[in-house]
Amino acid sequence: MNVVLALAPRLRSAGGQDSRVITLLAVTAFTVSTALTLSVVGGLIAFQQRAAHPVGDLQHDSGGFYVILAATALVLLVVPLLTLAGAAARLGVVRRDARLSTLRLLGATPAEVVMLTVVETAWQGLVGALAGVGLYVVLLPLWAMVPFQGTTFTPEELWIGAWALLAAVVVPLLAATSAAISMRRVVVTPLGVARRQGDRALSWVRLGALVLGAGAFAVGTQVMGMFGSLAVLVMLGLLALGFGAINLVGPWVLGLIGRASARRARNPAQLLAARRLASDPKGAWRVVGGLGLAGFVAGVLAMLPVLTASSGEQDEESRIILQDLVTGGMLTLGIAFLLAAVSAGIAQAAAVLDRRREFALARLAGFPVELFDEVRRREVLLPLLVVGAGSAATALLMLLPLFGTAALEAPQGLLLLIGSLTGGVLLVLGATETSRPLLRSVLADPVVRAD
Amino acid sequence: MTSTSRLQARGLTRRFGATTALAGVDVDLADGELLAVMGPSGSGKSTLLHVLAGILPADAGTVTLEGRDVGGLDEKQRSLLRRRSYGFVFQFGQLLDELPAVENVALPAMLQGTSRKDAVAIAAQWLEALGLAGKEQRRPGELSGGEAQRVAVARALITGPAVVFADEPTGALDQQTGHEVMDVLTRTTRAAGASLVLVTHDEQVAAWCDRRIDMRDGRVVAGPPPTPAPPVAAPPAARFETGAPVDEADVATVAEPAEQMTR
Repeated sequence: MNVVLALAPRLRSAGGQDSRVITLLAVTAFTVSTALTLSVVGGLIAFQQRAAHPVGDLQHDSGGFYVILAATALVLLVVPLLTLAGAAARLGVVRRDARLSTLRLLGATPAEVVMLTVVETAWQGLVGALAGVGLYVVLLPLWAMVPFQGTTFTPEELWIGAWALLAAVVVPLLAATSAAISMRRVVVTPLGVARRQGDRALSWVRLGALVLGAGAFAVGTQVMGMFGSLAVLVMLGLLALGFGAINLVGPWVLGLIGRASARRARNPAQLLAARRLASDPKGAWRVVGGLGLAGFVAGVLAMLPVLTASSGEQDEESRIILQDLVTGGMLTLGIAFLLAAVSAGIAQAAAVLDRRREFALARLAGFPVELFDEVRRREVLLPLLVVGAGSAATALLMLLPLFGTAALEAPQGLLLLIGSLTGGVLLVLGATETSRPLLRSVLADPVVRAD
Repeated sequence: MTSTSRLQARGLTRRFGATTALAGVDVDLADGELLAVMGPSGSGKSTLLHVLAGILPADAGTVTLEGRDVGGLDEKQRSLLRRRSYGFVFQFGQLLDELPAVENVALPAMLQGTSRKDAVAIAAQWLEALGLAGKEQRRPGELSGGEAQRVAVARALITGPAVVFADEPTGALDQQTGHEVMDVLTRTTRAAGASLVLVTHDEQVAAWCDRRIDMRDGRVVAGPPPTPAPPVAAPPAARFETGAPVDEADVATVAEPAEQMTR
């Protein structure tokens, strides 16, 4: 076996408590994203089964429609699920930077260094995937309590079978790929890490992408609306396009806002939070991007009461379908918020560890601990509000052509939107508080030496 | 107790588990005195700096700053003491990566309540005085090692500290750059009327100070006689040859480099 690779288990166990905390965080993230992905896929498969073997009029008439809705939820959740898994993979890379640079200086080749990290991260992915399958099994009875189509699913319907074990292959593979991509920074030059070059400024081209995406959706839905059910598939694609566009433009907008608030900042906490946002808008987006999606879903969801109100007299079947739309939307929203909260907690932990030397030395110089707490809160809150509100507004704008101004005349929708956004913001803020003990332990280290 | 001591320590003891890092150390630092603390790895010199600076509490012994006992303060009070009365220069990495140089220097002043506008203006004067004019907006990653240390010196001095603590400030620099940084550090500390405690294992670096003490196994041992002049000529960087004193008696507890500091 290669010498450097033979060192892998030793390096894994040598990192001390921080290393264990990070491994735990990364594995947790892989676990959560695996369990939720399997749950959503399980739901989709269950609806497909019902559509293929319908029982009763509702399942016979509308089975296909439900499959499309379940697929929509999956489309909406794919990006935050992947983001969370990516954040987990990156988390491991962050802390290994220093040690890996040392290995490079000692003569390990870039390929060996990449391989070492990729193997470690894949290993974490594997453990997380297996734990995730376990969590999925535990969650099955919970999902089985949610009523759809006038009846609940049995856990057996929601169980995707032996396919679940596919996660043990896919998750480590994704984790390894993500780690390999993150490693480019370390590998380019051993000294590159110490200098920590910033990313290139984000281009306004990203804004163009959002305008194009949103425009294509608005026009597409109008045109395709005339051609019946095929249009639904196109709309799904356009929805994904819309969300992809938000993902592109988000970091760019956050960078702009960071620079603007840095100019206006009056006290140290405002200044530090704004400068951090401006210097790493992509990192900030990773924290809040999940909520961006949730805000988008909430915006779409806000339209549902309008539908309910405008359809007037309903038969039993329509009533159930509308009820299920709200249930499904809420479920998607809840999962999105959960993913956003876990992503935020992970990203904050990574940020604290990434800057441990700066933080510890600043504390030695007498900077108050409260300053770091306030910066930590501010640097999440500002992008959170911007992203949550911005995504919801984008969704409203995209859907207005579908529903017309009736959307704005029914206040229930807007209330639901505001209520769920507030809940989501609080949830994410709560999740960032989990890095508080980690920050304390980093700051409490009085002896800071060169790594 | 002598009233002329700015910082005085008596009988300092500090243990880490079974290891005794300080075994009864006395230190006297006069007003404006530059003191080098030397010793091999593990001799306790860094622990001494940490205890003197209120980073670590001593297990036994007293520390007085300008006649006031600062040994018994709690963590919050010690943090305030470090922020108000001390300045720090570490080996590397103390600058906040996302802030441009001028804001790194301004931050301690802002923490004391100086407005951002004033703090940035004073910080810019300090950078100019230390030969960094035109580099105010550079971020730490865009500065050379020597430049970053000069920014750190400015950051340590902007609040007009009574004592500056420097822990191997040239440890990450080449010899020539190290001398440039030591020149700036000692010159500006003197000009600001501050005292200096410098921990180093490098004889040539220690030679920039007025006096040195040597440590072995947690005790001060007799050191060689003081060497007032640096053994290596100061670098020919004329822009540092300011010599003008820094006006200590200013408002808002923030020191401004004197206007007359010329290039």
